[in-house]
Amino acid sequence: MMEKMVFGRYIPGDSFVHRLDPRSKLIFVFIFIAAVFLANSTVSYALLLAFTLMSIFASKVRIGFLIGGLKPVMFLIAFTFLLHIFFTKEGDLLFELGFLKIYEEGLRQGIYISVRFLVLVLMTSLLTLTTSPISITDGLEVLLNPLKKVKFPVHELALMMSISLRFIPTLMDETDKILKAQLARGSDISSGTMKERIQAVVPLLVPLFVSAFKRAEDLAVAMEVRGYRGGEGRTRYRQLKWDWRDTTALLILLAVIVALWFLRG
Amino acid sequence: MKVKTMAVNAVIAALYLAVTALIAPFGFTNIQFRVSEMFNHLVVFNKKYLIGIVLGVFISNLLLSTLGWYDLTFGVAHSLISLAITVVLCKFVKGRVKGMVANTLVFTFTMFIIAIELKLALGFPFWFTYATLAISEFVVMIVGVPVMNALNKRLDFNRMIED
Repeated sequence: MMEKMVFGRYIPGDSFVHRLDPRSKLIFVFIFIAAVFLANSTVSYALLLAFTLMSIFASKVRIGFLIGGLKPVMFLIAFTFLLHIFFTKEGDLLFELGFLKIYEEGLRQGIYISVRFLVLVLMTSLLTLTTSPISITDGLEVLLNPLKKVKFPVHELALMMSISLRFIPTLMDETDKILKAQLARGSDISSGTMKERIQAVVPLLVPLFVSAFKRAEDLAVAMEVRGYRGGEGRTRYRQLKWDWRDTTALLILLAVIVALWFLRG
Repeated sequence: MKVKTMAVNAVIAALYLAVTALIAPFGFTNIQFRVSEMFNHLVVFNKKYLIGIVLGVFISNLLLSTLGWYDLTFGVAHSLISLAITVVLCKFVKGRVKGMVANTLVFTFTMFIIAIELKLALGFPFWFTYATLAISEFVVMIVGVPVMNALNKRLDFNRMIED
């Protein structure tokens, strides 16, 4: 069951990107997502694509692996591309076959939006591929720390996220077990009429919720008897360290943004 | 925040991901059919579930979504805004079934947030996308009303997070 999904898709490694602090990677991706919208000419999109490929190279993640993970997105990209090709009717007519007319602007928009989307998906998957979910949680907690001033429960949220990540494999195993147990009893949620499928979901969800609540109860009791009293004064096992790599990565991104600004059409 | 509230919400978030990943693998396209969407109704039983649901959406989109961080930002914003509206509405709407129907309508209406996401990310036409998303969300959530009601009779969601 777990093989079906490349869970969290984190691949441990020792590349430049792997060694970056999760905080710098998070800041990098956030800024990158916004910066992508600066591109509006062929040269600027080419720069984005080249920069993304360079980042993949620096992460030592196999291109084949990344492309394999892109299969579900490819359909969406192809669909978007065709949507723009057929429905944008501006610029010179490039091709005509019966009712099918392809215009220059449609082709251009199709390519631009596909590249933009591809670059975004590649860059964000690079983050999850090179950063373990628990590091992402640690990074987010530190980045959100200023919100503590407005009484936002940053520590509690980070703790809940860590607990959640710890329980995902357990609950996935359980879901899978219950699915199979119900299947063995003749229940079927993947075929039949809508009503039958809905009815089949109830006997699936009842044991799932029961066991989830039981685990939560046990956990709460365990935390209380061990004297858990919130985040105040707690020390950390995993320490985050910002070094020259992080500053370099952000400076390179800044350079790319400046270049994008000047390459705008 | 009470330890029990945190533990229940964390486990609900994990369950949200498990259900998203295993029960409805056809969830992240224009036709959204996630069984886990039904979890949104939990907030009608007790507003404390809001955190667990939003966290579940966040983790699911972080680890499973193909649209990457677009889904992360817009998906979380959509759930958070809709659930917050429902929490306020539930002060005026009496009865759980009515509350869940109100929740369904809120989620259907706020689907425009996801339509904006798809327009921004992929240049999809806004109104057409909004219409298809709203219809599918409405169907999943309205179907969720009797399901969650049946579950509540056996489990009592309010008690599970309160004592």
